[in-house]
Amino acid sequence: MNKFVYYFLLVIIILALGANWVIEKANSSYDFPLLRPVPEFSFYNQYGKSFSDQDLKQKITILDFMFTSCTGPCPLMSLNMYKLYQRFDDVKEVQFVSITVDPQVDDKNKLSEYADLIGVNDERWQFLWSDISSIKDLKKNGFMLFSDNLPEGHAIKFALIDQGGNIRKYYDGTDDASQEILRKDIAKLVRDLRS
Amino acid sequence: MNLFRTFTILSTVLTYLLIFIGGMVRVSGAGMGCPDWPRCFGRWIPPTSLDQLPDYIDPAKFNIVLAWIEYCNRLFGALVGLTIAITLYLGIKYYSQFPRIKWTLIIAFFLTLFEGWLGAVLVDTILNPITITLHLFFALIIVMLLLYASQEAYYLDNPKAEKKSKYPHNMQLLFFIMALALLVEVVLGTEIRGGLEMMRKENPMIESQFLLKMLGPFKYAHSILGFLITILSLFIWNGLVRKSSNPTPLMVQTSTAIVLLIFVQIISGEILVFLEVIPLIQLFHLWIASWILGLVSVQYVAWQKSSLNYE
Repeated sequence: MNKFVYYFLLVIIILALGANWVIEKANSSYDFPLLRPVPEFSFYNQYGKSFSDQDLKQKITILDFMFTSCTGPCPLMSLNMYKLYQRFDDVKEVQFVSITVDPQVDDKNKLSEYADLIGVNDERWQFLWSDISSIKDLKKNGFMLFSDNLPEGHAIKFALIDQGGNIRKYYDGTDDASQEILRKDIAKLVRDLRS
Repeated sequence: MNLFRTFTILSTVLTYLLIFIGGMVRVSGAGMGCPDWPRCFGRWIPPTSLDQLPDYIDPAKFNIVLAWIEYCNRLFGALVGLTIAITLYLGIKYYSQFPRIKWTLIIAFFLTLFEGWLGAVLVDTILNPITITLHLFFALIIVMLLLYASQEAYYLDNPKAEKKSKYPHNMQLLFFIMALALLVEVVLGTEIRGGLEMMRKENPMIESQFLLKMLGPFKYAHSILGFLITILSLFIWNGLVRKSSNPTPLMVQTSTAIVLLIFVQIISGEILVFLEVIPLIQLFHLWIASWILGLVSVQYVAWQKSSLNYE
């Protein structure tokens, strides 16, 4: 009997060590690479104030491209971003940026109305506009997202940008499972920033 | 020991290991490690690099470590299913005149298939909390069925095992309450775990201990029922060990182990609530709960076996 107990305890210890190794491995597996820095840009937000790549510094930014009269995937993207906006409402390091791909229609007033409509009431989520060629350039060459046939043909990706202004990862803006991963990744970047 | 008994024990042990691995998937957050089912990223062997991903899957979902943790659970699950199938085959071949053994294994086998299907539903629903609880619940039922089959097979080979022992008669209700309390306790425990997850979703930057403080009445219900279970286990121990005559070593060891393990559970539970939510302790807290359930079922069947001698 004693022998049995010893073997049993040995098995338990091995299992515990194994499980510990797996859990640690899982915890450290959330690293994501530095993809590329966001290039210089200088746009305007829904209040008419300027917003440039410098405003990405010391913040964790979630950025997408959309337009207010879009009836395709944008409402779902805005809804998903709004969920994140609410969940991180007490985390001042996190900001959200939506850039219109239809600046002819989406001027400052239109974007401001849209922000009110979906319930954005502070500067944590800014809606940017500029001339179409600059937007297209940033989207295509800065974020490597397809930009032919704008506004309808815009990408549905959310980009996660770290405190140094580097793009870290892209997420499907319409998919729940990807949003779960994004939420965890934001929390991890904020923890890194604070520590 | 004959082949059939070897296989009943093997399938029980492997199912316990599977519960452990399943718990590991849960605490390491690898449940969505493979976004599809039964394959992983469209492959039978999980991909090792990003370019192996099919176009229709968002690359952001790819995490090789989580994919393998989840896939190990599936592979091991398939192994357990196979072992139970072999056990069932042997049971039908050699023990078909014992309907208890045969039917127990048939039910265990079909529940195992059902568990596989629940695993697919889990991936589809992005880890729906109720489905996670059901996934664990049926694993516990399967392991108890397998233990029962092992024990019945043991008594077939050793019919005199509980011949001399005599335990108090009026314990049926006590066992029933104990089993029910334990199952409810496990479900309450998973609710705490699930609740924590939900709260973390809404408050992503708050540490687990604080979230636990915000968690409502579930955690008190879990503690109160735990207290009741402790008293019940002592009561049952007293009946089977102290008030009985000639209890078998199996009965004494099982009863004592239950009491000891419940104390381990109290300590590990208090650590989780008052000190820190440590994943490894969460894992063992759940796993030991599954042992206690299994031991209570062994205790009950032995008690029943002994009572039959005096009817």
